[in-house]
Amino acid sequence: MASSSKTMSGSSNKKKSGLLSRTKRKGKDSKDSSKNYITEEELLQKKHISPEDVLRLIAPTDNYLCDVEDNIYGIDFTRFRIRDLDTENVLFEISKPSPDEMSEMSAVLDTSDPNAGRFVRYQFTPMFLKLRTVGATVEFVVGDKPVESFRMIERHYFRDQLLKSFDFDFGFCIPNSTNTCEHIYEFPQLSKESITTMIESPFDTKSDSFYFVNGKLVMHNKADYAYNATNQ
Amino acid sequence: MGLLTILKKMKQKEKEVRILMLGLDNAGKTTILKKFIGDDINTISPTLGFNIKTVEHRGFKLNIWDVGGQKSLRSYWRNYFESTDGLVWVVDGADKRRLADCVQELHKLLVEERLAGATLLVFANKQDLPGALSAVEIKEVLDLESIKTHHWSILPCSAVTGQNLLEGIDWMLDDISSRIFTLD
Repeated sequence: MASSSKTMSGSSNKKKSGLLSRTKRKGKDSKDSSKNYITEEELLQKKHISPEDVLRLIAPTDNYLCDVEDNIYGIDFTRFRIRDLDTENVLFEISKPSPDEMSEMSAVLDTSDPNAGRFVRYQFTPMFLKLRTVGATVEFVVGDKPVESFRMIERHYFRDQLLKSFDFDFGFCIPNSTNTCEHIYEFPQLSKESITTMIESPFDTKSDSFYFVNGKLVMHNKADYAYNATNQ
Repeated sequence: MGLLTILKKMKQKEKEVRILMLGLDNAGKTTILKKFIGDDINTISPTLGFNIKTVEHRGFKLNIWDVGGQKSLRSYWRNYFESTDGLVWVVDGADKRRLADCVQELHKLLVEERLAGATLLVFANKQDLPGALSAVEIKEVLDLESIKTHHWSILPCSAVTGQNLLEGIDWMLDDISSRIFTLD
């Protein structure tokens, strides 16, 4: 694991997560979802969950909407990085240990919780909410079967307010490939009040990351965020 | 919602541009991508899959796909053709030994139906290396003048110094937008 962060710290046992972000289109997103929303309970009744389903959620879920075993494609998130494009500083970087390191670590990891790898808690300093241009990179590997159509949808909420719904279609993934994706986007300037409320409400900012293969949910990761960390 | 708003929204949606960057392995595709975006180019290893960067540039939402160029990966390139607005073909100007391979692979792409509408930009990369072939020489070897099916251009560039990367992408965007975004 590598971390060059001065301003942040992250869980060391994470696979992948998102980050807080807001877009200029947030009004549109919340309007669309309130028109025709769906609840977590309804989704849990379904055999398969589609992208259209999770786009209709209006709050973070309490449960994971699929099993760890549903990922039959060997998709695994191996690196995550956030950088500030204005200063070109890497603010946060974390890599999954290589298989060798893993076997040494397995003795100390708590393996009783099957969801251990799907949740991460971020503790950022207040400065994070003042960034302007941010690049978020994920790296993932794919198993020995081709993945025809891979899509991610990430939903970010502050309490029950949808801040951002992020939707990206990776399409085809080559068998046994290692792939990266960096999204660069602008952080709109938040109002002083919003910043204060978010800083004073650690872990009330949450995200759900949903991953689909051929339109079926195969992975679901969760994260929560605090912005009241102090510089280390 | 007024008509103008609707038109603006359509335009917003349309302004997403998909760029596919291909070329032989070690041509410098990933280095070009990283340099263009202002990422660290000191630790680059062969791409065994794809690297995507999405970024806003001149009001366009660019989705740039860099797919690995090793021989074993080239048969997968066709999976990334769909909806491509611009094809960037990267040539290692210092690798004279594999130019024949390079010509052959490029001309295979040019007959692909799903790339028929794409603008072609050729980067004659590694101009920072002594002995690298010039853009004019590469244009000859690749027989670019014979291409009637695509809008094309070739530029000398260096992924290491950043020479002409922005100019190349901007030319491509101008060409794509003049073809597609007629509302502008």
